Amino acid sequence: MARILNFPRRQTAAEMAPDDALCAAREYFERFGDGETRQDERTPSDPNVLTALFALLRDSWETCPQRVSDMSVEIHGALNRASGKVGLFDERQYFLGESALIAATSLRFMGRNADASRWLDRADMSFRRTINPAPCLANVSYARLTISFVENRFEDLLELLPALTQEFRNLQMHLEADKCEFLMARTLLGLGRKVEAVERLEQLSSSAALSSDAALYGNVLTYLGNTYSEAGRYEEAARVYDHALPAVVKSGRTGLAAALKWSYGDTSRSLGKLEQAVSLYRAAQHDFAAAGMTNYVAMLHLVNAESLLALSRPREAEWEILAALPTIEEQKMVPEGFAAVALLKESVRRRKTDPNALRELREHLQKQN
Amino acid sequence: MEISDESGSPALSEDPFEKEIRAIFQDTLGLIHIALVAHYGLEEGEATELEKDLYVWFVRFCMRPGNRSPKDSRPFLLVACCQFAREYQRYVVGSGIRETDEKVRRILEREPADVAHDFSKSLELLNYRHHPDA
Repeated sequence: MARILNFPRRQTAAEMAPDDALCAAREYFERFGDGETRQDERTPSDPNVLTALFALLRDSWETCPQRVSDMSVEIHGALNRASGKVGLFDERQYFLGESALIAATSLRFMGRNADASRWLDRADMSFRRTINPAPCLANVSYARLTISFVENRFEDLLELLPALTQEFRNLQMHLEADKCEFLMARTLLGLGRKVEAVERLEQLSSSAALSSDAALYGNVLTYLGNTYSEAGRYEEAARVYDHALPAVVKSGRTGLAAALKWSYGDTSRSLGKLEQAVSLYRAAQHDFAAAGMTNYVAMLHLVNAESLLALSRPREAEWEILAALPTIEEQKMVPEGFAAVALLKESVRRRKTDPNALRELREHLQKQN
Repeated sequence: MEISDESGSPALSEDPFEKEIRAIFQDTLGLIHIALVAHYGLEEGEATELEKDLYVWFVRFCMRPGNRSPKDSRPFLLVACCQFAREYQRYVVGSGIRETDEKVRRILEREPADVAHDFSKSLELLNYRHHPDA
């Protein structure tokens, strides 16, 4: 058990009720960075508002990491400046730790791994001063391993993940233990050890703890479906995707839903179900558009154009190509003078789409992304 | 101490998890009060004020990610209780507001976590009294 330093006495000001705290947290979240008032004047310090705000930040760190990172860094600074005036007993240290951990995770989503590591050090320092540091420090360790993963340090993960998984199990944090198992499965995939990865994903897909987290459950099933599909086990992949879809939609993770629909579309195409593939690609495009990921929308236009050509619907394929080309050119998604673009444009102009140029362009874009 | 009058809100009290926390806190309150008054030498009024703070803290503590059930979190509640009591009493004694006897002086010299550990044994007894078959 950690030794707690400088326990502060509660301030006399009344703390907000949870419902009011949630409203205040939402208002801060929505108005953050609007420039109307100096930020540090309205950065919350009420423990109930901070608790509600951190839940909002965790829900958004994947979809708008820059905003979440800015906000958590701001909150961390305000808590530091507030000295002993926040919360009861160890709460200031706990909130400092949480805000640093959220900042680290959102920075990792943006690929700023060195910055993320520095914030994890800060989280570590603060959590050590709380009354029950073990669960929080285990979360910090997990965050460090996710950085190892994106840096392809797979051997480190093979060594360290089993111990952390066991630690989470000892702490009865079964969902976090399952996250470690999922990270291990992805590590094995990264190392090309697909058979072991599939075994782990299959085991994981029936975990009781996992069903409480729709996003994680959907993600696990998506990976399982993808590995089946890559192994040519299309029927099994389709069944898994069918299970995954409701969970992913329920999770509200638009990017994840789009990726799943894209994968399901590819599998449907491999099964010869072209109409279903087109419909899934369009659904994925819709999700990517909602998430503002226009490069993927453009790529899916091309993917869809290939399916439509295979369905002998060349006019619709042309529309898809014409819809994709402006984004591809505006966002410089291909090097200047890339031959396939010119060939494709010309073939569409002559209303005789060149399938080879289309495939070449689509493959190039998918390789880049 | 009446927790509902002092520390909770109506919205909070409807939550089943918070009800469980309240029940566990209420169950431990006797032991907390003994620790504060009999062992750390706080006056009744001071102990009551501290108990309100402890309750507010305990509700949020149980809601932290990864924390176990309110029942399993009781040892941490006792650590918080002893830590705060020591800081408070040291402040009061140090500022010359109150003199202290040998018994209180001895407990103030001990680590709160160690004192809490001793109190935890009473929790085990409490558990046994409530669930003799467990």
